Amino acid sequence: MRTGKLIRLARGNLARELGALAVSAGGVALGTGCLVFFLALGSGLQNVVNDVFPVSTREVEVVVPQLAIGNLLGEQKIDDAIVQKLRALRGVAAAYPKMQLRVPAVTRYNGMFFGREIRMGLEVVATGLMPELVGQDARMPFEDRGEGQPIPVVVNRRLLELYNKVFAPQRNLPQLSESMLVGFQIPLELGRSWVVSRSFPGSQETSMQVVGFSERATLAGVSMPLAAIRRINKQFGMDPDTYSSVLVRAQSADDVGEVAAGVKKLGLEIDDTERRNAVQIGSAVEIVTMALSLLAALITGLAAVNTMQAFYASVRERTREIGVLRAVGATRGDVAAVVLVEAAATGLAGGVLGVLLARLAGALLDRIARTGLPDFPFKPSTFFSFELTHVLLGVGVALLAALLGAFLPARAAARLEPAKALTES
Amino acid sequence: MSAIELRNVAKTYPPREPGLPPQDLLRGVDLEVRRGEFVAVEGQSGSGKSTLLHLLGGLDREFEGEARVLGCDLRAVSDAELAALRHTQIGFIFQSFNLLPALTALENVLLPDFFGDGVPDAERRAREALDRVGLADKSGARPVALSGGERQRVAIARALVARPPLLLADEPTGNLDARTGEGVIDLFRQLHRDGMTLLIVTHEARVSHAATRVLVLRDGRLHADGAEARSMETE
Repeated sequence: MRTGKLIRLARGNLARELGALAVSAGGVALGTGCLVFFLALGSGLQNVVNDVFPVSTREVEVVVPQLAIGNLLGEQKIDDAIVQKLRALRGVAAAYPKMQLRVPAVTRYNGMFFGREIRMGLEVVATGLMPELVGQDARMPFEDRGEGQPIPVVVNRRLLELYNKVFAPQRNLPQLSESMLVGFQIPLELGRSWVVSRSFPGSQETSMQVVGFSERATLAGVSMPLAAIRRINKQFGMDPDTYSSVLVRAQSADDVGEVAAGVKKLGLEIDDTERRNAVQIGSAVEIVTMALSLLAALITGLAAVNTMQAFYASVRERTREIGVLRAVGATRGDVAAVVLVEAAATGLAGGVLGVLLARLAGALLDRIARTGLPDFPFKPSTFFSFELTHVLLGVGVALLAALLGAFLPARAAARLEPAKALTES
Repeated sequence: MSAIELRNVAKTYPPREPGLPPQDLLRGVDLEVRRGEFVAVEGQSGSGKSTLLHLLGGLDREFEGEARVLGCDLRAVSDAELAALRHTQIGFIFQSFNLLPALTALENVLLPDFFGDGVPDAERRAREALDRVGLADKSGARPVALSGGERQRVAIARALVARPPLLLADEPTGNLDARTGEGVIDLFRQLHRDGMTLLIVTHEARVSHAATRVLVLRDGRLHADGAEARSMETE
């Protein structure tokens, strides 16, 4: 039986039984709609987690173990020799040392701040980064220009988000964007602390200039060029040679395990707090998504049972017609194919409807979230990520559910003896 | 040359209720119908006429004995071969028309074209068949919009579209008024003149009069054939 004719024959039956089949398609749509909705929600939430905890699969942060015996004795530290050893480890592509500013520093800002008069004093925490690590995130040169010159800083994007969503609204301060802040200079006093309320010998006034925003920048404070930190630490008699941590980039994600083992052999450890957080939250999202998807699968399963009942009823009602089809030359396979094509059309309609319903529900919830939920840090513009795979999976599951549901009725139709079918009243 | 050959054919249905004997619908039927014959099969209700028709049409394979239709051994061929036989060699006409309500008159006539290798030049043939039964102007109508007579004529057109050599009909005029029934009988005469083999199960004497041979079934047995049956009919 040719496909075109099969579809033509099935179309007539579908049109006639539109009511009953619409109920079946509705059930399938509900199940697949839920499935697509939950998958898109899970994917959207995973994106939010990735925004909050941007972790690379091939990078690790190497630190000195907090409880190492050598550390207690002052022996364990990360210096250039250790960095070289790290770079020489098998599977390591690059190693970028980081250094804390070991000198107290404060900023005091009195004056106009983007149209608002403010008076502000803050302790400054700074970390030194290699310019290569910041890369293109710096829109102005990220290099130490020497004493007396503004120190370039890069700021973590998440800090800007926290400022805009929490700090600024509470203090009636202006909302800021990256482009507004790049080039902005802030006074900096090195060798001074608000906390201990005193100045260190040799304290000096300088300034910081924002040159960019980067996920590489520290979350606690600002990031300066490593050379600038080293210079300031040395200037104030602090250790200019010991690094606080090293970001090690493996050649591939598969090499991370081997790199971690090498790090351990050097008496160091990997600080994966952020990665663990991301993984834990990501896993939680995955588990919830999976549970909800199972629920959706259950609904789809019930829809398949409903489809089965509808098609059994349809086959019963059309017994005589099936007899006629057999009388004019239909094989058992032809009869089953007619029923299965009708089921496929029902499933396809249900699947497409389900995807549309899921998108509609997603858009509605996003709208409610936009207008009804307070603005909070990392609040996404959408909680959903409808991917092509979700749509294909939804339609595929709908099709499969309908075909599975109609399988037994189709078999029953194919097994009808034509003579008996024709004498059915 | 034989169109139909039956040797000692018997058909038994299981008992309707436990404890009752099985129902013998056909008992030891021997029959030979030559190609081009116009045969009317008469008999009272329950005599086995429809059972015989279904069996000859390959719609029922559960019987005993030997049955060959157009040279095809009905018990020996596969289900698909039997479907092909029904598709290309046999036309069926039913008392209750059995049109598919979702399809138009033309689509109902085209139904055999949906299966197997289809029907050559199907649409032209279907329109010709509708024209032959006087329904050329009703090709787009659905069965619900047609009268009983018109529906039966659509069913006849459907049986003719594949131009089968054998036409089997079960009470084709049973639900028609006298005038429409007469038109159908005229059509059968015409088909007979064209060389088609017809086997018509009927209660109606006017159909039997049109036939070249009359068979009478009684209690599942072939009770009378030919002249003998004619005389019974006259009585």
